[in-house]
Amino acid sequence: MTSLKRSLGSDPLSSSISSKVFVRSTKSGKVQKIVRELYLRQDIPCSSKLCTACLATAPRDAAGLLAPFVLSAKPAGTKAYPNGHYLLPDTNALLNALDLFESTSAFYDVIILQTVLEELRNRSLPLYNRLIGLTKSAEKRFYVFFNEFRLETYVHREQGETINDRNDRAVRRAGKWYDEHLSQAVKAAGGNKKSVPTVVMLSDDKENLKKAKRDGVAACGLKDYVSGLENAEQLLDMIAVVKEGREIRDARAQEALFAEYYSVSKMMTGVKNGTLHQGIFNVSPYNYLEGSINVPAFDKNLLVLGRESINRAVQGDVVVVEVLPKDQWKEPSTKIIEEEALNKNENPDAEDGEAVVTERERKALQEEVKKVHSKSSEGRPQPTARVVGVVKRNWRQYVGHVDESSVSQSVKESRKQQTVFLIPMDKRIPKIRVRTRQAGEIIGKRVLVTIDSWDRDSRYPVGHFVRSLGELETKGAETEALLLEYDVQYRPFPKAVLDCLPTKGHDWKVPASADDPGWKDRRDLRGLQICSIDPIGCQDIDDALHARPLPNGNFEVGVHIADVSHFVKPNNAMDAEASIRGTTVYLVDKRIDMLPMLLGTDLCSLKPYVERYAFSAIWEITPDAEIVKSDFTKSVIKSREAFSYEQAQIRVDDASQQDELTTAMRTLLMLSKKFKQKRMDAGALSLSSPEVRVETESETSDPIDIKTKKHLDTMSLVEEFMLLANTSVAAKIYSAFPQTAMLRRHGAPPKTNFEELANQLKVKKGLELRTSSSKELADSLDACVDPQESFFNTLVRIMATRCMMSAEYFCSGTQAYPEFRHYGLASEIYTHFTSPIRRYADLVAHRQLAAAIDYEPLDASVRSKGKLESVCKNINVRHRNAQQAGRASIEYYVGQALKGRIVEEEGFVMKVFSNGFVVFVPRFGIESLIRLRDLAETEPESTFDAEDYVLRTSGSREVEVELFEKVVVRISDVKEEGTGKRKVRLELVKTGGK
Amino acid sequence: MAPSASTQQILLSPAELSYLHTSLSLTPPIRPDGRRATDFRPLHAETDILPGTYGSARICFADGTEAVVGVKAEVEKSTPSYAGDDGGDRDEEKGRNEWVEVSVEIPGMRDDDSMPVFLAAMLSESLLADGGFTGRLWINRRFHWKLYLDILLLSQPLSYPLPLLSLTTHLALLSTRLPKLKSEQDEDPLFDDDWDASVHLYPAGSAKPAVTLLVMAVKDNIIFDASKEELSVAEVVLAVSIASHSSSAGSGRMQVDSGSGRQLRLLAVRTIDPPSRLTHPGVPNSLNTATGGTAAASLEQENSKREGLHEEGVWQPPRGGAKRKLIAGMIARVLEKGGVGEEVLDGLNAVELG
Repeated sequence: MTSLKRSLGSDPLSSSISSKVFVRSTKSGKVQKIVRELYLRQDIPCSSKLCTACLATAPRDAAGLLAPFVLSAKPAGTKAYPNGHYLLPDTNALLNALDLFESTSAFYDVIILQTVLEELRNRSLPLYNRLIGLTKSAEKRFYVFFNEFRLETYVHREQGETINDRNDRAVRRAGKWYDEHLSQAVKAAGGNKKSVPTVVMLSDDKENLKKAKRDGVAACGLKDYVSGLENAEQLLDMIAVVKEGREIRDARAQEALFAEYYSVSKMMTGVKNGTLHQGIFNVSPYNYLEGSINVPAFDKNLLVLGRESINRAVQGDVVVVEVLPKDQWKEPSTKIIEEEALNKNENPDAEDGEAVVTERERKALQEEVKKVHSKSSEGRPQPTARVVGVVKRNWRQYVGHVDESSVSQSVKESRKQQTVFLIPMDKRIPKIRVRTRQAGEIIGKRVLVTIDSWDRDSRYPVGHFVRSLGELETKGAETEALLLEYDVQYRPFPKAVLDCLPTKGHDWKVPASADDPGWKDRRDLRGLQICSIDPIGCQDIDDALHARPLPNGNFEVGVHIADVSHFVKPNNAMDAEASIRGTTVYLVDKRIDMLPMLLGTDLCSLKPYVERYAFSAIWEITPDAEIVKSDFTKSVIKSREAFSYEQAQIRVDDASQQDELTTAMRTLLMLSKKFKQKRMDAGALSLSSPEVRVETESETSDPIDIKTKKHLDTMSLVEEFMLLANTSVAAKIYSAFPQTAMLRRHGAPPKTNFEELANQLKVKKGLELRTSSSKELADSLDACVDPQESFFNTLVRIMATRCMMSAEYFCSGTQAYPEFRHYGLASEIYTHFTSPIRRYADLVAHRQLAAAIDYEPLDASVRSKGKLESVCKNINVRHRNAQQAGRASIEYYVGQALKGRIVEEEGFVMKVFSNGFVVFVPRFGIESLIRLRDLAETEPESTFDAEDYVLRTSGSREVEVELFEKVVVRISDVKEEGTGKRKVRLELVKTGGK
Repeated sequence: MAPSASTQQILLSPAELSYLHTSLSLTPPIRPDGRRATDFRPLHAETDILPGTYGSARICFADGTEAVVGVKAEVEKSTPSYAGDDGGDRDEEKGRNEWVEVSVEIPGMRDDDSMPVFLAAMLSESLLADGGFTGRLWINRRFHWKLYLDILLLSQPLSYPLPLLSLTTHLALLSTRLPKLKSEQDEDPLFDDDWDASVHLYPAGSAKPAVTLLVMAVKDNIIFDASKEELSVAEVVLAVSIASHSSSAGSGRMQVDSGSGRQLRLLAVRTIDPPSRLTHPGVPNSLNTATGGTAAASLEQENSKREGLHEEGVWQPPRGGAKRKLIAGMIARVLEKGGVGEEVLDGLNAVELG
C-alpha cells in the first residue's frame, strides 16, 4: 500500500494568503476553533510624509479621499538619533509607560503596530482605550500601521515559537521594513542619506532588544531612551515599576505576605456552583480594614475583615470571595480605624520582614473580636468572607498627596530616586508606594498617580507618579483633583463637537417666516404670558411656565422646556460627547457643561424677551387640580420675564401686584399646593439632605459665607409642575415605546436598610419607624418629632435618606411594569424631561416624545434596547459622580470659609462608635468625627453600650455621649502635620444645647 | 448482515461474471488488474485539509472513489450516571458511547437511506469497540468533549465504500487536536487560546483508532481491497475491524502478548451481503431450449433444478453462508504478523500528519 501526499505551494498566490488560528471560549462555556483568513496586501501606506511611493498607492475611500499622512517629514531628533526618529514601541513599553506617551513634552511621531495594539487590548482594555484616544488626536502624530496585513511585514509563526516571540519578531520585522522603506523613499526623492529618520524600537524586554541588535534594527530600552530626553526626571517617574527589581527579591525567597489568588477557572466554577461569590468590593469609609461585598446570594452584605482577608483587593474591584466558617463571623465594627493614624511612621523602603498585619493593626482588631465575644447573643454576627481572587481590577488614576514623613530629609533636595508613600484623597484606597526622583518637589502638592501592581510580597500596591496638579489647597489644584476623583470630563469641547453648532452662532434667531422648515409642526405660543423661575444667576434656563383661566372655569397650564433636541441631532459628535458627559456638573465656583456654552446659555436657554424653540406640555386642569386633558407639542415661545425664586416669591406675596404674570403665578402656586398634597397623600416622601450654599466673592470666588438653603413656596411651585411634566411624559413615551422608553425608577429599599435606624429611634426616642410602604414611612417620619428640638425631624430624614436606594435611569424593556415605581415620589412611572440642557436622559426623552407625537421619526439609537441600556448605565454613574463632586466641592469651600476661624456651634450626634462619635453641624452642613483621644490630653477610659448607643468616658474627661443628642462643638481647622492636609476639626465643648 | 454494497447495477453479463469467478478461484487467483490477492491499490491520502475543523483527512482511491472526513468537537456537560456508579476512580477517564456522533453522507442518497445509516453504525461500532476511544474525550468528572465525525463520500460509491471511509476516519482522528486544558480537576474547563498548544487526541505512541477492512473470498481464495467487479462475484464479504496497541500504552485492560511491539486486536466482524447474490444467473444448456434443454415450467422448478447443477462456465449466484473455517482464515490473514492488517496500519502511519 502506498500513500502519496499532494504537494502544497503550487498556488502562485499562496504568499498573499495566510490564516490565523486560535481557540475562542464563549461565555456559555463553548469552545470554538476559529480560523481567520488573512489577505496580505502591499498598499498599506507607511504614512510618513517623506514617502511618495505610498502616497500614490494608498487606498482611497468611497469619495476618493486619502487619509492624510501622519508622521512628520522632519521628526524631532535626540542626541542618539540626530537625524530625527520615529518611535516604534512594543507592547511592554506601552503597558509600562503609557503615561509617558501621553506627555506633551516628548513622544511624537509614533508608529503603533497592529500587533502591538491587539496585544495591548488583550492585556489591558483601559490602556488600549487610552491609546486609541492618543492615535485619534492629530497633534501627537500617532499612526496605527496594520503590519499584519502588509505582505512585507507579515510574519509566519514558526514551529514551536511562542506567540510572544512571534509578535516580538513581527515588531522587529516592521522596524526593519520601515527603515529600508524610508531610506528608499528618501533616495527616490533625491534626498541626503542623513535626512532619513531612524525608526527606534522601544522595548523593556532585554531579549527583544538583543535580537533587534542582531537583526540590525535600531532599538532602545525605555529607560535609556527617556534618560536621553530633556526633562528626563519627570518622565522617568511615569514609567511603571518594572518587574526586574522584584525578581531579584523573589530570588531571595521573600515570603509572600498574602495568599495566592485562585485560578480563573477555579473561581468561575466556584461562582457558578455557588461555593464562591462574586461582587464589587467596597471599603467602609470609617474603617479601612473592613470591606463589604453585596452578592446576589445573600440579603445582607458579606463582611471582609482585616488585611489578610481583603487580600490586596482595592475599592471598586470585582472580586470573588469565599464565606468563612461561622465561628469567624463578626459584627460590623463599632470602631473607627484609620490607616493614617495607625501606620504613621512606616518606612516605604523597608521591604524585609514586613508583616501583613502590623502589631498595631492586630491590636485594633483584637479589641474588636473581644467585643464580639463579650456580647450577648442578641448581637447578631454577620457572615464574613475572604477574597480569593480578583476578576477585574478597577484601578484608575488616584489623586493624593505624598506622605511627608515617608520622605527622608537627606534626599529631599537631591535628585536621587527614592520610594515614598502616597496617601490618596479617597480614604478607602490604601497607601500607594511610589518611586520618584522628584520627592522634594512634589511634597505639598496634589498629585495624580496610578497603581501598577500589587504583589503577594508587598504590603502596599506599587504605582507610579503621573503628574502634579499644583499646590495643596490652591483652588485650581483642588478643583481639578475633585474632577479627576469623580471622573468628570472637564476638558474643553473638541473641534468636532463645536462644528456641530449652528453656523450663525449667537446671532441665531427663530426664523421670522412661518414657512421656514424650523416652524414645521410647531405651535406658535408667542402670545402666551410665559415666565421662568430659577435660582439667582441661572443662565441655562431649561423651563418656563404659564397659566391662564379658561372660559369653563378650568385652567390651562403649560410647562415649556428648552428644545435641545432641535439643536443636538442624534449620532453626531455633539450628541456623542453629551452622552458621555451625561450631565452638567455644578461646583461652587464652576460649572462643567454637558453641552457647549452657545447652546446651554443662549440658543436653547429660554431667556426672557426673546423667541425660543420649546417643547411644551399643556394641560387643562380643574381648580381641584384634576387633569382634564394633556397635550404635548413643539412650539415657539417668548418668555416675558426670568424670575429668581426670591423675586417671584416677593411678587406673589405683594398683594398690590395684579398684573397677568403675577396672577398666573398665584394660580400656579395654588395648583401646586394641591398637587403636592395629593402626592403626599399617595405616600411621597419628603426627604432631606444637608444643604448649604457657599456665597463667594464674585471676582475671586473666595468663599465669604455659608448659608443653609431657605425653602420658598416658589421652589415647590416649579418642582410640582416639573414632576407633573415628567410623569405625564413618562406615561406618554411608555405607551408609544413600551420596550425602549427612557424612564427613571427608584426601587423600594430593602427592609434591612432601615433596621439600624428603626432600632436607634426605638431605643433612644421610643419612636416607631414603619417601613412597609412609602406611605407608612412618610407618616412615621412625620411623627418623628422631638418637641424640644425642631431640627430632630430633619436629622432623622437625613439619616433615612441614607438608607434609601438611589434612583436610576433604565430602559423600559429591561424591567417589569411594577418595578417602574418611583418610591420617593410615589409615582407609578417617572422620567426626566425638564432639564435637557443639563441632563442627557432628558434629551433622550425629548427625542422619544417627539417621535411619540409624530413630530419626527424615532432615530435608531433611541430605539435600540441595547444602546439605551448602555446609555442608562453611563448616565447613572455620571449622575452619581456629579452629585458627589458637587458635594465635595461644597465641603472644600466650607473648609476654606472656616479657615482661621474658630466657631462654636450646635450639632447632633449621628453615629456612635466605641472610640468616637460622629457629629453633624446643620449650620455648615458638615459632619465630622470626634475621637476619644481628641477629648483630652490622655485618652480617657471608655465604655460603650452598643445596645443603648451610649458612650461613657471616665478618667481624664467624663462625658456621656448619646445618639441623637445635641452637643456644642468648637469648629476649627487644622493643618495636619505630616500630611499637610487641611481638615475641619470638631471639638466637643459640652453635651446638651447652648 | 449488512445490506448489499451498492445500489448500482452491476453491468456484467453472466458469462463475464463466470469468467471473473473462475479466474479469481484459481490458485493463485488472477485478478483483473493483475494484483496479488493481498495487494492494495495505490491511494492518495492527506490530512489537515480543512482548517476549520479540529482534524480532517482526505483519501482518494485509484478507482476514483474519494472521501473527506472532518472532526469537530464541543464541550458538553456530563450527565451524572445513577445506574451502577462504581466508585469515583473508576469513573474517571471512562467515556460513554453517546459522546461520539458519526454521520455519513453519500451523494445522491438521503441521510436516512439505509446505506449511510448502516455505514455510520458500522463505523461507530468499530471505533467504540476498542473501549479506549471515548475515554480520550473525558475532560473531568463534569465535562467531556462531544466529537462529531462528519464523513463525506465525494464520489459515487463504486465499490463498497466502508474501507475507504474507515481509513479516512482513522487518519482524520489521528490528525485531530483538541484545545489544551488549563483548568484543573473538576472546574469548569478553561482552554489555552493558542491553537498551536493544542494536543492530539491520539498522541504519538499511543494506541490508534480502529480500522475496518473489507475482505472477500472466492472459493478458498481470500482477496483484499476488492474492486467493484471483484465484489460482484464474491462469495463471502467480511468487514473486519482491527486496532493496534503499542505496548507502551498498555494498561491493565489489555492483554498484551509479550515480545511483539505491536499487537493487533480484532474488534468486530460483520458479514456483508455480497452484491453477487443479486446478479442474474447464467442459463445452463440443460435449461436452455436453444441447446436442446427443457426450460423449467415455474420459478420453483427452475431453482430446484439449478441446485443440483455445477456446470463449469455457467454463472451461478452464490447461495448459502460461508464456512466457519473460511471465515477464521480470513480473520487470521488480517491479524497475522506481517499480514495485511499491519501493512495497512503501517501505510496509514506513514501519512504525514499536518
